[in-house]
Amino acid sequence: MSTKVAIIASNGGLFDAYKVFNIATASAATDAEVGIFFTFEGLNLIHKQAHQQLPLPEGKEHFAEGFKNANVPAIPELVSMAQELGVKIIACQMTMDVMNLTKEDFIDGIEVGGAVTFLDFAKDANINLSF
Amino acid sequence: MTIKVDKVLDAKGLACPMPIVKTKRAMDELTSGQVVEVQSTDKGSLADMQGWTKNTGHQYLGTITEGDVLKHYIRKANPNELKEEMTYLHTVSNEELLQMVESSAEITIVDVREPAEYSFNHIPHAVSIPFGELENRMNKLNTEQHIHVICHTGHRSDMACQMLADKGFKNVTNVIEGMSVWTGPTDNN
Repeated sequence: MSTKVAIIASNGGLFDAYKVFNIATASAATDAEVGIFFTFEGLNLIHKQAHQQLPLPEGKEHFAEGFKNANVPAIPELVSMAQELGVKIIACQMTMDVMNLTKEDFIDGIEVGGAVTFLDFAKDANINLSF
Repeated sequence: MTIKVDKVLDAKGLACPMPIVKTKRAMDELTSGQVVEVQSTDKGSLADMQGWTKNTGHQYLGTITEGDVLKHYIRKANPNELKEEMTYLHTVSNEELLQMVESSAEITIVDVREPAEYSFNHIPHAVSIPFGELENRMNKLNTEQHIHVICHTGHRSDMACQMLADKGFKNVTNVIEGMSVWTGPTDNN
């Protein structure tokens, strides 16, 4: 049976983005079916402008150099890789309404849905993660 | 040791998850049975490659470390390899072959796996003739000899036995379990 990975991304920093997209791309490259539900600040991770310059946590700005030295791919690169590998990206409609955002504010190729959209995907997942 | 591969993937300098993502892409371009060498400087890639092959069904052959570079060898699996029936009738189990090896009986073992698989572990004195080259190289073997043919799981060796029998080899036996579960002595080079 193939593996199914369901991820909730609810935080919007650079560290959060790496946790989410590294696991997502690695899983998809290992033939897993992957879906990510982006909600609250997690929406930053797929926002057209915001996802290109996500903040490091306060006091951890010096890690910027570490990311560069370790040759870690940039977040936009990881996002498009995830999409190429078939990772399903779902943006939370309710949070979008609260923040006054529309589908056009986000990267291409996403779905918009409510909590049940994610539940429907996650109900038979073998791995459920929340970041 | 030099290992023959069908493709070399340079993933040096790349951080997780890139070596895995690139390996997946490289694998998509190979055909079943071919071997890829993945070069990586990511130390975590050793455990990752093993986990990746376990989950995708491909065959992890081994890793060689050269300085900072890890060279991982992976063979692309054939989805039919485990399902197809074996049809050649003269067979022995690994245990029976092991008894013959240990009693120093004069037997010839032909290993029909890819050279990279052979390099990482093989039965001492086994002759390496990859299945794809068997037709051209079988004239090196004696048709009167008792030949034991082995591969990873008994599938390729089954086909090899039929080919040899068809070409007039009188005494050919398939080792049905194969190197994947071989517990006897091995060499590598």
